[in-house]
Amino acid sequence: MSAFIQYTLQGLAAGGFYALAALGLAVIFGVLGVVNFAHGACYMLGAVVSAVLLDVVGLHFWPALVIVPILMFLFGVLLERVFVQWLLRLDVLYNFLLTFGIALVLVDLVKRRYGVSGLPYEQPAGLRGQLHLGSLSLPTYQVFVFAFSMLVCVLVWLLLTRTRIGMIVRASTEEPERTRALGINVNRWVTPVFGFGIGLAGLAGVLAAPFRAITADMGGNFVIILFAVVVIGGLGSVLGAVVAGFLVGLVEAYGQAYASSFSQIAIFVLMALVILVRPAGLFGRQETA
Amino acid sequence: MARKTKSAAIAACMTGALVLAGCGGGGPSAGGGKISDDKVVLAVLNDQSGVYKDLSGPNSVEAVKMAVADYQKKYGDKAVASDIEVISADHQNKPDIANTKAQEMYDRQKADIILDVPTSSAALAVAGVAKQKKKLFIDVGAGTTELTGASCNKYTFHWAYDTAMLAKGAASQVKNGGKKWSLVYPDYAFGQDMNKSFTSAIKEGGGTVQQSIPTPFPNDNFATFITKAASSKPDVIGTMAAGGDLINFVKQFNQSGMRDKATLAVGLMFITDIHSLGVDQFAGTTFTDAWYWNFDKKNREWADRFKEKTDTRPSFAHAANYSAALQYLEAVQRAGTDDSDAVVGELEGKKLNDVFLRDGEVRADHNVIHDTYLAEVKKKSEVNEPWDYEKIINTIPAADAYEPVSKACSL
Amino acid sequence: MLEVTCLSAWYGEAQVLTDVSLAVHEGEVATLVGRNGAGKTTLLRCVMGLHRSLEGQLRLDERDLDRLSPNARARAGIGWVPDDRGIYASLTVEENLTLPPVVSADRAWPVEQIYEAFPALADRRASMGTQLSGGEQQMLAMARVLRMGSSLLLLDEPSEGLAPVIVQRIGEIIRQITDHGVGVLLVEQNVTFAATVADRHYLLAQGRVVEQLDNAQFQAREHELLEHLGI
Repeated sequence: MSAFIQYTLQGLAAGGFYALAALGLAVIFGVLGVVNFAHGACYMLGAVVSAVLLDVVGLHFWPALVIVPILMFLFGVLLERVFVQWLLRLDVLYNFLLTFGIALVLVDLVKRRYGVSGLPYEQPAGLRGQLHLGSLSLPTYQVFVFAFSMLVCVLVWLLLTRTRIGMIVRASTEEPERTRALGINVNRWVTPVFGFGIGLAGLAGVLAAPFRAITADMGGNFVIILFAVVVIGGLGSVLGAVVAGFLVGLVEAYGQAYASSFSQIAIFVLMALVILVRPAGLFGRQETA
Repeated sequence: MARKTKSAAIAACMTGALVLAGCGGGGPSAGGGKISDDKVVLAVLNDQSGVYKDLSGPNSVEAVKMAVADYQKKYGDKAVASDIEVISADHQNKPDIANTKAQEMYDRQKADIILDVPTSSAALAVAGVAKQKKKLFIDVGAGTTELTGASCNKYTFHWAYDTAMLAKGAASQVKNGGKKWSLVYPDYAFGQDMNKSFTSAIKEGGGTVQQSIPTPFPNDNFATFITKAASSKPDVIGTMAAGGDLINFVKQFNQSGMRDKATLAVGLMFITDIHSLGVDQFAGTTFTDAWYWNFDKKNREWADRFKEKTDTRPSFAHAANYSAALQYLEAVQRAGTDDSDAVVGELEGKKLNDVFLRDGEVRADHNVIHDTYLAEVKKKSEVNEPWDYEKIINTIPAADAYEPVSKACSL
Repeated sequence: MLEVTCLSAWYGEAQVLTDVSLAVHEGEVATLVGRNGAGKTTLLRCVMGLHRSLEGQLRLDERDLDRLSPNARARAGIGWVPDDRGIYASLTVEENLTLPPVVSADRAWPVEQIYEAFPALADRRASMGTQLSGGEQQMLAMARVLRMGSSLLLLDEPSEGLAPVIVQRIGEIIRQITDHGVGVLLVEQNVTFAATVADRHYLLAQGRVVEQLDNAQFQAREHELLEHLGI
């Protein structure tokens, strides 16, 4: 029984991290209608930038947690202005080609500059060791990632539901054309929202640095899980991304514990089941004609 | 376009012929037409851009060039191979690309030998080409025992390591007290192979394997696998993950606090892995090393020369590529020709010693055995200089370091 | 205030409007009456800037609309009540109401005034938009443009599918706002309702304005028109 609780806690911890990372993907899709295949690469960039800043200017984990997402936000703004804005009036195929291309370029640039073996990173001060709860013990850092991810998800949720910006974002997500006709300049929000989504990917990257390999390829496998998360949750649904993040985390942990060979397949079986029963995902709006 | 290329080729041929005619009389006596195309071409085919780039890659090409220079310096005018060229290509760890590139190298670029070729499937593909073209292939980077087992052939040699040797080295710590093992392996050919080799080596050594846990490949999140592996309270947790997955595993292993309770043994690790993650993360981890640059004076001298060229310390793959190229050229020298069968004859059954091979021997199955080492990663406080990461715990004599000659192999 | 001159519009190759000219003056209600598919909704979408494949001229208060984006047109004073009411499912009633900007402080209804006028909305201000009944949603869509203070309203079949009491209430509101100088372009198939609120009528058939009638003429021919429209 205590093993089961341990696995559950590990699943929730991983789930919180997935939720945070998928959040940006969901927000970008919601407002821009763009599926950002470069999200994994931006996550990678967040981790790499943290490692490089630590190495070059000695910037530690805690300040990096603030600074790197801001840098990534600016990078996102740049990407949107230079590339992504042209997508909004084109066929979705171009969306795939462009964002996937951006991902390849980013990964290759990092490989060229920093090699393929990965970059070292520190264990953040104050987050080393384990937390003990009776017979259970969990790595402090895992608990922190969970709590921090939750905090960010809640803040984003409040931002979306309690502020005027959030209201506009929700309206634009639901019906961009009508929202324009009601006097809202939807285009003005597109750039900051894209930057915000990329900033969230970067934040996930910073969080990943102490417990994941920091390599140019780290985003490749990860982004596949993120897509499973947003598809399960419903593309564009923020609540969906969070709930599905936890579901995927739990399924993965139980899979690892009880059916090792199938732990990753289990995620995609879950995705297939959700699509069969609810094609728009758990919290996606069903398309009406 | 095609026409132009052709005429350019003809022109090049004619110039070559003229030069030959010009030097024919007074050239080195060793020439004498015994070298095919009057040139020995060593081709390094490996990962120049992907996950194995750092542990071998472009720096192995440098190591092979060092071997060429050493050979030329040693024999000077008496060198059989007076004109030596080193070429390289990127096989991106894909068997189909390796296959095409190998054919191109042997046929068009007149390669006399192909070296390195990491990734088992790619290595097996190249071994097939070597057999068909009757040209030499010395594999360094791949770990599969099949190269000297069912898929062995007359022209293929396996130089540095294989999965059985990694397992035997690691299992040597059973006698140092690591009796109970949990194994975690990526669920694909290499991982399954390693899991099998480790399980039998540990049992032979008198230890027990409590659990063997397969994981997806590639995989980022090992938290629950680690908890599960630890649940049977083993002395040693062995991971067969490699590359980025290995780093994921080690970071999460350290955070889980297991480092204080069990030794971490890594199936396949290169010094470049330790360097990239930082020695602190790996401290106390054990693994089998085929060669360590700071093991003795001889290694160190060679490593210093390597550093001058590459600005980094060599992995065992770099040293093994040097050794393979050097021993090939020595065999050419002995044979007096670069004819494949003659060179193979000069290698087979030979006892070899150089900076990489200690007590080395080319066995009947073309597995090149030598002393291997069980290494432990140093604590940060014990590191005296950059790349000074390893403590050698056991030296495993060549005779015990490998499986016996495989019955599956007939040349 | 709104002048449409020689407007033609296309969906791909198919022409849906041909040389339509019409005008809506301050404080006046003009209706567009016609069968389904006559091009009424397309005309509203052209005015709003949502339908781009068009030729001709659109002017609001002597100002050319051509180069204005939909949101700029809304800010210039055009308020749109779409035929599907356009209530956001993910916004509460109050958020639906306060989402658009106030474009004219003089004319805009404060939120309190709106809740006084539509008590049903006040009771449900925290509900999600689509939890309202059809009639309430229509009220909300109307209330939304009233709060903006738009000077020209484009109403797309506001009476469709609603109970007579509510239709009557909507008529009252329309008269109330036109008293304050707001112009209304009303798309309507309910001829009886159109006759009770409008000053002038444009009959639209196959994308052309076939007749322009004042309300007296319209009422006189109500039965004939009903047949003509096939309603």
